[in-house]
Amino acid sequence: KMPPFSYINCAFQISDEEQGYDLDLFCIPKHYAADLERVYIPHGLILDRTERLAREIMKDMGGHHIVALCVLKGGYKFFADLLDYIKALNRNSDRSIPMTVDFIRLKSYQNDQSTGEIKVIGGDDLSTLTGKDIIDTGKTMKTLLELLKQYNPKMVKVASLLVKRTPRSVGYRPDFVGFEVPDKFVVGYALDYNEYFRDLNHICVISETGKEKYKA
Amino acid sequence: MASYLEILDDDQGHELSLFCVPKHYEEDLDSVIIPNGLIKDRTERLARDIVRDMGGHHIVALCVLKGGYKFFADLMDYIKALNQNSDKSVPLTVDFIRLKSYSNDQSTNCVKVIGGDELSALSGKNVLIVEDIVETGRTMETLLALLNECNPKMVKVASLLVKRTPRSSGYRPDYIGFEVPDKFLVGYALDYNEYFRDLSHICILSDRAKEKYRV
Repeated sequence: KMPPFSYINCAFQISDEEQGYDLDLFCIPKHYAADLERVYIPHGLILDRTERLAREIMKDMGGHHIVALCVLKGGYKFFADLLDYIKALNRNSDRSIPMTVDFIRLKSYQNDQSTGEIKVIGGDDLSTLTGKDIIDTGKTMKTLLELLKQYNPKMVKVASLLVKRTPRSVGYRPDFVGFEVPDKFVVGYALDYNEYFRDLNHICVISETGKEKYKA
Repeated sequence: MASYLEILDDDQGHELSLFCVPKHYEEDLDSVIIPNGLIKDRTERLARDIVRDMGGHHIVALCVLKGGYKFFADLMDYIKALNQNSDKSVPLTVDFIRLKSYSNDQSTNCVKVIGGDELSALSGKNVLIVEDIVETGRTMETLLALLNECNPKMVKVASLLVKRTPRSSGYRPDYIGFEVPDKFLVGYALDYNEYFRDLSHICILSDRAKEKYRV
């Protein structure tokens, strides 16, 4: 039986069998030539999908001042491009919404009971979020959402470029999803492997050579 | 000496109606002084100059939030474009910091660096600090002194804007996008009390808006 169709949660599905594209069909930084297997999601496709997410977000949240919260470092490219598309909508339509920005990092550490705790670093005084709508880009969400609730924002939504299909999922689903991907280790478009590959435009699958070379 | 695109003191900028500006800011701006496309074109050239000078060794690009984020993102995109289209390319890692400046008892400038990885990771690397605007130059001079203690191989500063102001310490960044008059500018991530970061062009703020968005 098909689940009810919801525009808000629909995502571009990348199937488990998807092999991606040959590196030679694209422009890749020379210093990564041996470190990648395939191009998985080309940069232009990421931008096109992001443009649509911007429209969905404005439709949903465009009634009130938005605080866009970027989860560094991996979120920075998606954040910058998403905001560019939202700004494009803002300056080309009859109605537009003021938007302010902020940046946080999430440090996760285990306490004695091994329950993952997230510490939020940076960002303005979170009490300024009270009464605002927030969109949040990043990966580790449930704990952050709990934290933000204490500041009484009017509405909190999460936009994530990627959602992984994985048995390790806690069942949490962001409000806006770019691509749903298989459980592979992907890099590029600000996603890193030990800080490398953030300077790669396309989302790619890392090679064994790459994993060895950039091992911590 | 760094070259720069000079915006003259008597430059009035362009009429808002010649460009696309968010409707919620239409009453708050006097004119567009540096259009987004011009910012990008100038940034593309800075990317080339930076890779020419620093491209021999791993670059750590350090973004000074929040004002630096747009310039940083666009500059990185142009550097990446060079990297993926030339015979040689340089590995680039990124980091993000915020600077809180304050004066201590002796009235000397202090800068606290918030966020970012361990500064010791900068040792032996080519560090590129990316900033939105340099006015007095004191914040940058203090940051540079701090970073030099970590023994980087090289430290360079790229600032999109440098203000012509009598309050300047004389400090000049290594890479400069535009030299601008001593006016209050907003847009392209430059803010007035957190507003106007969501504006693509750099504009002159109206007096009316200074009141409207006053804290």
